Amino acid sequence: MSYVTASGLTRQYDLSDPWFIRMITGRKANVLTAVNQVSFSIEKGTTYALVGESGSGKSTIAKMLAGVLAPSQGSVQIDGHDFNNPRLDNANKKMLRQRVQMVFQSPYASLNPRWKIGDILLEPINAFNLIEDKATRQKRVIELLEQVGMSAHDQTKYPHEFSGGQRQRISIARALACHPELIICDEPTSALDVSVQAQVLNLLKDLQQENGLTYLFISHDLAVISTMANKIGVLKDGELVEEGETSGLLANPQHAYTKMLLAAAPDIGAYIS
Amino acid sequence: MPTPLLQINQLTVTLKKRQALFKAVDNLSLTVNKGEILGLVGESGAGKSMVGSAIMGLIDKPLFISSGEIYFKQRRIDTNAQPVRGAEISMIFQDPLVSLNPLRTIGDQLLETIRTHIPLSKPKALERAKRLLKEVGIDPARINAYPHTFSGGMRQRVVIALALAPEPSLIIADEPTTALDVSVQAQILDLLKQLCKHRGTSIILITHDMGVIADTTDRVAVLYSGRLAEIGTTYDVLKNPCHPYTKGLVAATPQINGASLKDKLFQIPGSMPDLNNIPAGCAFYPRCTQAVCQCEGEQPALFDNRTACWLFDKGAKPK
Amino acid sequence: MRRFLQSDLFYSFRYSPVAIVSFVIIVFIILTAIFADLIAPNNPFDPASLNLMNGFTPPMQANDFTGETFLMGTDDQGRDLFSTILYGLRISLFVGVMAVMLAMLLGVMLGLVAGFVGGWIDSFIMRFADIQMTFPSILVAMLIYGVAKGILPPEVRYEMSIAVLIMSIGLSEWVPFARTVRGSTLVEKEKEYIIAAKMVGLSRYQIMIRHILPNVLSPVLVIATITFALAIIAEATLSFLGVGVPTTKPSLGTLIRIGQDFLFSGEWWILFFPAVTLLAFALSINLFGDWLRDTLNPKLK
Repeated sequence: MSYVTASGLTRQYDLSDPWFIRMITGRKANVLTAVNQVSFSIEKGTTYALVGESGSGKSTIAKMLAGVLAPSQGSVQIDGHDFNNPRLDNANKKMLRQRVQMVFQSPYASLNPRWKIGDILLEPINAFNLIEDKATRQKRVIELLEQVGMSAHDQTKYPHEFSGGQRQRISIARALACHPELIICDEPTSALDVSVQAQVLNLLKDLQQENGLTYLFISHDLAVISTMANKIGVLKDGELVEEGETSGLLANPQHAYTKMLLAAAPDIGAYIS
Repeated sequence: MPTPLLQINQLTVTLKKRQALFKAVDNLSLTVNKGEILGLVGESGAGKSMVGSAIMGLIDKPLFISSGEIYFKQRRIDTNAQPVRGAEISMIFQDPLVSLNPLRTIGDQLLETIRTHIPLSKPKALERAKRLLKEVGIDPARINAYPHTFSGGMRQRVVIALALAPEPSLIIADEPTTALDVSVQAQILDLLKQLCKHRGTSIILITHDMGVIADTTDRVAVLYSGRLAEIGTTYDVLKNPCHPYTKGLVAATPQINGASLKDKLFQIPGSMPDLNNIPAGCAFYPRCTQAVCQCEGEQPALFDNRTACWLFDKGAKPK
Repeated sequence: MRRFLQSDLFYSFRYSPVAIVSFVIIVFIILTAIFADLIAPNNPFDPASLNLMNGFTPPMQANDFTGETFLMGTDDQGRDLFSTILYGLRISLFVGVMAVMLAMLLGVMLGLVAGFVGGWIDSFIMRFADIQMTFPSILVAMLIYGVAKGILPPEVRYEMSIAVLIMSIGLSEWVPFARTVRGSTLVEKEKEYIIAAKMVGLSRYQIMIRHILPNVLSPVLVIATITFALAIIAEATLSFLGVGVPTTKPSLGTLIRIGQDFLFSGEWWILFFPAVTLLAFALSINLFGDWLRDTLNPKLK
C-alpha cells in the first residue's frame, strides 16, 4: 500500500455574502471549488510533484495533506491514518502530526522573526516531548543545524541575520526535528536565486536518501520538478489533468495543458549539448 | 562599427548609509545596439535593477552616481535624464499596477501618454491607442475598461502598450514576467521579441532567470556584486561561459529532461557577499574553485571584451 | 546593550535633535516627580505645614507678612507652587502610567482575540469599539467616572478616587490599541510560521501568546507613548472639571483649575507654571512618539 493516498480530495470555499445580505439583495450563494476530486498516491521514499500555475489549487492540497485544512469531500490517508477521522484519538493524532512536516515558500514568513534559531528548532522537539534531557536537546539542535549545512553557533541568532537560502535551510531543519516521514515542500526554492536553489534542492535530495523521506513537492517550475520528482501530477483549475512517471510525462505529454506548460517553460537546455 | 544606441561608461552607483559608502554598481561599462535585446542577469542584490534606474535617471538618496557617464544617442543623460525619460526610454516594472492608475480607464492613460509626447489630434491619438492595444494583443474594444478588470498578464500587456505609446527607441524591462504564470510569461516574452523585430526597438531585459535569458535575449551581461562578470552574445555566454561564476550559474540551472533523478545539480558554494562585505580583489574569489594568484588582491579588468576574470589574463600565474 | 547601541533605532536617535530634546525633557520631568520628596522644599500634602499667611506670594518675591520667598510663588492656601507641581506631577504620572497599562492590556488582549479568532467575536468587539469611538473619549471617561462614583459606597469614594480615575481613562483609551493589534494579527496569522506551529499541534492559545503576540507589539509601543500623553491630558482635564483627584492632593489639572480662578485678579503664576509643565511634558511625549513611529515604521510617515 502507498504511504500517502489522497482520494477524491475536494475543497470548496464559500465566498458568498452573509446569509442576511443575500436575503435582502437576492444574490446567489457563491462557492469556489479550489480543488476538485483529486486523487493520487505517493510511494514511501519517493517524490511526487504537483505542478500547476497560480490558482490551480496546489497549495490548498498541501494544506489538506498537512492536516491544517479539512477537505470538503474525500480523504487523505497517511500510512493508513486520516487527520479528519473523528475516531482518531489524541495520541494517534499527535503521532500522525509528527510524521508530516512542511517546508514553505517564503524564507521570510516561515520563521518567527522574534525567535532565536535554537528556539525555533526546539519547538517541535518540545511539542512532541521527544527528548527529556536538556543537554541532549541542545545536542539535537546542533545536530540538526549541521545536518542542513549550518553551524552550531547559529542557534543564538535571529532569522533576519541570515540570507534567504540559509533561512530555507533552517526551515528544513525545523521540519526534520521531529523525525518526520513525509515532508511537504511548497515551492521551497521559488524565492531563491539559482545558485542557492541548487544548494537547497541538493540538500533535499541528500536528506531523502539518508532518511528515506517521502516528499510531496509543489512547484510551478517544470525544470526544478524534472530534477526532483519520480512522479508528476499536473494540476489545472483544481483538477488533476495528467499524471505519470517523470521521464515519460516530460517526453510524451498527453494532455494539451501539459504540452502547453512544457512549451512555455523557459529552458536553457537548447544551449547545452 | 555603428555607434551604439546607449553607452554606459564606467558607471559607479554608491550607497551612502550611516556615513559609510558602498558601491552598489561598480565601474560598469556596456553598450546597447539598435534593435537588440540585451539581458542583464544576476542574483538578487547584484545591482541589475540599479543599472536600469541609473539609465532612467531615477537614482535617489541614499544612492547616487559617483562616477561614470551614460550616453543615449550620443547625448549625455546621466546628469539630466528628464528629456528622454518616458519619451525615448520607457520602463516596464515587475508589478504592472505600479505603472497603471487604478482610477482611470486604460484608454485615458494611453491617450494622455501619447499626446504628451506626440502632437496629435484627439481622434488620431485614439486611433493610435487602439492600434497599440491591438499590437500588444488586447481587444481594442476594451479601451474604456479599468485596469482591475484585466488579469495579471493582460495588465502587463497594457503596461507594454503604455511604454510603447511615445515611440521609444529603448525599453527597460525590469523583471517584467516574474509575477506571472509560466504560460503568460512565454506570451509576454514573445511579444517583447516581436516588438523588437518589427519596430527596431531596443530592450534591456533585467532578470534573474537564466531560462528567460536563453529564450529571449541576443546578448547578455552577467552581473555579480555590482560588477560586470561577463558579457557577450547569449549563445557564446551560455554555450561557452568564461567566468567561473557564469559557468556555475549555467550548470546550477535545472533543465527539463536534463538530468536523471539520481544526479545532483551543480552548486556554487556560499552566497553572494553583502554590499558591506565585498572582498578586495575579485568579488567572486571566495566562492571560486579556479582562483589564481591575482584574484585575492586585485580587481580584474574586462579581458577580451568578454569577461572580468584573471584566468583570461595572458600573464595569469596558477596558484 | 552593545546591540542596542549599534541598532538603527539608536543611530536615528543620535541624529534627531527633536528626539534627543524631547527625551531629555521627559526623563527630567519623570525624575523630578520620582524624587519629589528630596527636591521639594515643602510637603504641600501636609496640611500642618501650610501657612495661610503665605497665600498669593508672587514668584521670587518675599511674602509681605512672613518674609518667605518661593521659586514659583504660592497659591491661595499658601502652598509652595514648585513643591505642589512636583507632587502633582507624581499623581499625574501615576494616573497616566496606570491608565495606559490598563488600556494597553485591554486593547492588546481584545485586539489579539478579535484578529485571531475572527467571526462573530471579532464583529462584536470591533463594533463595540466603533460605538465607543463615536463619543469623545473624555466623555466616556466622565461617564465611567460618574457610574463608578455612584456604585461605590460614600465612605470609600474619597480613597478610591484615583483608582476610579485610572479606570475611567484606561477604559476610554483601549480602542486604538485593539484596532492596531487586530490589524497586525490579521497579517501575522496568515504567515507560514503559524502553519508550522499548527503542524506541531500547538493550541490556538499557545499560538496566540507565543507566536503572534511578540510580533504585534512594536506598533503598540508607539501608541502607548502617544496614549500616555493623552492620558495625562485627560487626567488634567477631568481634574480641571473637578471630577478628578481631590483638591487636598492636587494634580496638575487641579492646580490649573485653582489657578484659573485667580487669573484675572493678577495671580498669573498659579495657572502659568502648572500649565507650562503640562504643556512641555505632553508635547515632548508626542514629539518623541512621532519620532518613534517614523523610525519603527518608515512607511507610516
